[in-house]
Amino acid sequence: MSAPDVPATGGRPDGGRPVATADLLPTAEPREARRVVARLVADRPGLGLASLLVLVGGAAAGLAVPPLLGLVVDIVADDRGTGDLAVAAGLLLAAALVQALLTGVGGQLVVRLGESVLADLRERVVGRALRIPLRRVERAGSGDLLSRIGGDVEIVSRAISATVPTIAGAGLTVGLTVVGLVVLDWRLALAALAAAPIQVLALRAYLRDAVPVYRRQRVLEGERTQQLLDAFAGAPTSRALRIGDARLERVRETSGAARDEALHGFRLLARMFPKLNGAELVGLSAVVVAGFLLVDAGTISVGTATAGALYFHRAFDPIGTLLMLVDDIQEATTALARLVGVASIEPPEDPAEPATARDGEVVLRGVGHEHVPGHPVLHDVDLRIAPGERVALIGTTGAGKTTLARLVCGIDRPTRGSILIGGATLDELGPTRAADTVLLVTQEVHVFAGTLGDDLRLARPDATDDELHAALATVGADGWVRALPEGLATVVGEGGREPTTTQAQQLALARLVLRDPLVAVLDEATAESGSAGARELERSADGALAGRTALVVAHRLKQAATADRVVVLEAGRVVEQGPHDELVAAGGPYARLWGAWASARER
Amino acid sequence: MSTPALSPGADGPAVPAAGGRPLLRQVLRERRRPAVVSTLGGVVHQTCEAFVPVLIGVLVDRAIERRDAGELVLWIVVLALLFALLTTAYRVQLLTLVGGLERGEHDLRTALARRVLAAAGIAAPPRPGAVRADVGGSAGAQVTVAGSDARRTVDVLEAVSVGGAAIAAIVVTAAVLLATSLPLGLLVLLGTPPLLYALQLLARPLERRSGVDQARAAEAAGVATDLASGLRVLKGIGAERAGAERYRVASRRALDAAVRAGVAQNLLLGANVLISGAFLAIVAWVGGRLALDGTISIGELVAAVGLTQFLVGPLQRLAFASTLLAESRAAADRVSALLQAAPDREDPRAAEPARGRAEAVPSAVALAVAPTPAGTPGLQVAAGEHLGVVAADPAASSALVDLLAHRGEAPPGALRVDGRPTSDLALDDARGLVLVADHDAALFSGTVRDNVLAAAGPVHDLAAVLDASGADEAVRAIPGGLDGQVGERGRSLSGGQRQRVALARALAASPPVLVLHEPTTAVDAVTEARIASGVRRLRDGATTVVVATSPSLLAACDRVVLLGDDGVVAEGTHAELVQREDAYRAAVLS
Repeated sequence: MSAPDVPATGGRPDGGRPVATADLLPTAEPREARRVVARLVADRPGLGLASLLVLVGGAAAGLAVPPLLGLVVDIVADDRGTGDLAVAAGLLLAAALVQALLTGVGGQLVVRLGESVLADLRERVVGRALRIPLRRVERAGSGDLLSRIGGDVEIVSRAISATVPTIAGAGLTVGLTVVGLVVLDWRLALAALAAAPIQVLALRAYLRDAVPVYRRQRVLEGERTQQLLDAFAGAPTSRALRIGDARLERVRETSGAARDEALHGFRLLARMFPKLNGAELVGLSAVVVAGFLLVDAGTISVGTATAGALYFHRAFDPIGTLLMLVDDIQEATTALARLVGVASIEPPEDPAEPATARDGEVVLRGVGHEHVPGHPVLHDVDLRIAPGERVALIGTTGAGKTTLARLVCGIDRPTRGSILIGGATLDELGPTRAADTVLLVTQEVHVFAGTLGDDLRLARPDATDDELHAALATVGADGWVRALPEGLATVVGEGGREPTTTQAQQLALARLVLRDPLVAVLDEATAESGSAGARELERSADGALAGRTALVVAHRLKQAATADRVVVLEAGRVVEQGPHDELVAAGGPYARLWGAWASARER
Repeated sequence: MSTPALSPGADGPAVPAAGGRPLLRQVLRERRRPAVVSTLGGVVHQTCEAFVPVLIGVLVDRAIERRDAGELVLWIVVLALLFALLTTAYRVQLLTLVGGLERGEHDLRTALARRVLAAAGIAAPPRPGAVRADVGGSAGAQVTVAGSDARRTVDVLEAVSVGGAAIAAIVVTAAVLLATSLPLGLLVLLGTPPLLYALQLLARPLERRSGVDQARAAEAAGVATDLASGLRVLKGIGAERAGAERYRVASRRALDAAVRAGVAQNLLLGANVLISGAFLAIVAWVGGRLALDGTISIGELVAAVGLTQFLVGPLQRLAFASTLLAESRAAADRVSALLQAAPDREDPRAAEPARGRAEAVPSAVALAVAPTPAGTPGLQVAAGEHLGVVAADPAASSALVDLLAHRGEAPPGALRVDGRPTSDLALDDARGLVLVADHDAALFSGTVRDNVLAAAGPVHDLAAVLDASGADEAVRAIPGGLDGQVGERGRSLSGGQRQRVALARALAASPPVLVLHEPTTAVDAVTEARIASGVRRLRDGATTVVVATSPSLLAACDRVVLLGDDGVVAEGTHAELVQREDAYRAAVLS
């Protein structure tokens, strides 16, 4: 599975849509983020220490090379003979061997350490993310969560696998070069430091000018990906409406904006290089001049002066590497802080002794709800659904049907009143027990990527193939699943076979059957497929709901007609309830709805 | 398909070359200037870099060893000049290269987008559910091609520039060494290719393995985003823990893969260090002996050693360039496959300019569908008529809708508008006559207003359109109303809101013939009744075909036909058919 829907650029799926920051999921302070990572590293003390020692050893072995080359120069200058030369060359070979060994092993240790820390962190983040109250995620926009467990995890993991080892290597080389120069002669080291002020100034100018450009560039790349996805997924529609040119223009605009910003960034980068090269020139000249003066004064040998110059020359690349990676590190720290922010959300906990639902009775007492304070969606709803009873919830858009469905399932907490399932409140049941007792299937269709069997086993991980087939048979889906060449092993979801909307919804109902809850809530679960599909799904739903208490939010009045009882919701209030026939006879709002429907049927 | 549907004259390759390699050649041809200039810049830069250790050697030789201050000043000035040239050349290389890369990427992406959005469409994969190796598949796969493969293809410029400069650096180094000392020069010249070869030999299987491992590591990210995308569904069935456990398994598998990839990469890194270090030791030994003999000076020894150390850089860059080239070839294959993808339906007049082609059409036109061997029944729709079409088999209505939408190949004359076969028309003109509004039509990110007016002509009555489609009610519930954002692909809206906004968009386009396919599947019964009468009123006197099984919609039609296995099996008004046809009742009322 390649998940091509997820832009590799780390683009934010929420794109440029303004989202009030107050609503986003929390972001940790950088200090807190570092503390969490330090704790994870400290959990592996042996690995951490070994990595450090081996890397330092490897860098040190590499730094033995310039003095050894200096030794060769001295041997030649003093005309000491081939024996000494062979020893020097042998030492060079040994240094290469040690450096190679330690670099290879050290790199592996760093990857092992970094990746296992990352794995712990991302598992914690995803585990928490799935348990955060849905309302919280929705307030932030689902793009926020997606960008964290998609883009941010990728940024941090790229940093761990590529940036951190590179920085560790380069940093150690630079640091030990300074040490090496000091050991050769402290005055050579002092001369080399002449480069430092220029490098610091260049870096500061770069961070000030270029980093915001890179940030903007990443945002623009995210928008570009989103625009492509928008245009390509909607290509059939734009062909039908003949608006392909307008879509193409949008793609061209966003792609052009990303291109221009990238070129802007590179121009800033090009402005920094002369400064870095200048710093190298100044430092190298200073070391050579210092070497000249010290050799002239007889303080050091020609070989030492040579070693000093070679040392400095060797540090060119690592210094450049370090300066270029400062931005990556800042970016990774930001991403890390966003991950730690999610990991630190405390999900609702189960009570110490969770209650058990005695049966499938659902009772709502004086339930009222407001998503935004002052804007009530439900008023004072009283409702009792007997165990095994099927209730249809009817009303126009905005009447509060979905809100009521979510309250019953415990996805949202009512602002007023209480909800009891089998005699216990949702709080007494706790999230785990509640999730076993009352479940929700909505019109939102999502087939989880993997095999059909994997998809169904999300509902019951230990289910056998026979149990899966039985659940599929209950919802009338066993036929087409068995007809697939690979049956339950068929790969579905992104990158695999795309089931029809009807089939996907049957899978959702089969998952419900596998979970086998006392209470099931269906929120327009049959709405998104065409009329023929809707009828097929109504039969599937009948199978799935048999023997359960059911609250069905219905579009099609036929569903209402077959329910035990109909509840009509208008503007957040229950205006009418009773069996279909009684309500039709009563001549109230439901009778009017039914009249419109039935007359269309019979006209 | 002979000519791909790309408008000439726009930016991007005008006639995309078939196949990956020709495409790469075309990219290089079109970006000749940046390719040549950046390679030259790279050559100069690398040559200058190679001369830095040579100058260090000269400084040691002439200034430090001989303690000559005049020489010191002279050669530091030379060093400064070298650095000035070096930094200028690098600047030239960087700016021309990224200019070529960014512009080339953008142009190629635009060409890809033009192909995907072309009226001719892209033929569906041969069978449903076929493995999505083909690019015609999901939009996600196409986005990957236009997003990252476009860039990787253009990366051929970087491969040429970096590779060319690296080769130049190796040649210069060898030449300087040969000039210094024949044996040393030969040692480096003859020693380097086997080293390079050994590294490549070592690298290839390791890189392949690490590539496989990295792909596996990326799977965990896929699992996470998949779970988060289905979060509401997951929470609905209380499967948070099962989901987290599934992610943990994927994450551990990714960890193992990443560690294995790390082992391979670091093995390669270690081998790299060892080989170049050992080579340096050999050069130092040989050079030292030559210097002891007096064949070369100390400065020349320093230069030789410095050059050998320097050589590691160009060698690594050459390996990088060859990897880049391989990736570029693979990406170019995918890009080319999409650019050249077979059309869903040939556009007979795609090559003609779009303007000045459309003829004035009357507001009400008659429509005739000829029976096709594929099983589409014959249908006649009078000018201004509202026809309902009901099919017992959903596949039959889909086939009819595809034909009306000019999707897929159809025999000439299968569809006639006012007696004229639409197969003669450019696809855009044919679709301008007959607009098919699918029930799952996509919305585009932007405001509600942008979407409703996306295809509207200059004359439209927005209020009437919103009223007829029931979108006014939906708009009231959307934060920001008409100026509210619909989000990516309209995902900020509910299914019912999306469907009504899409219907409003189709009505606003006000086509001579409007075909509505199941336009009310996601709205409630009350709203559906409102839409049925609203559409009837708004399109009064304009030819309209409603393919649906909803009684409310069908009751509002002048005439309804029932499609069976052998074409039209019954026709009449909705009420008549309900009375007399069992099959109709079964299809519509059950």
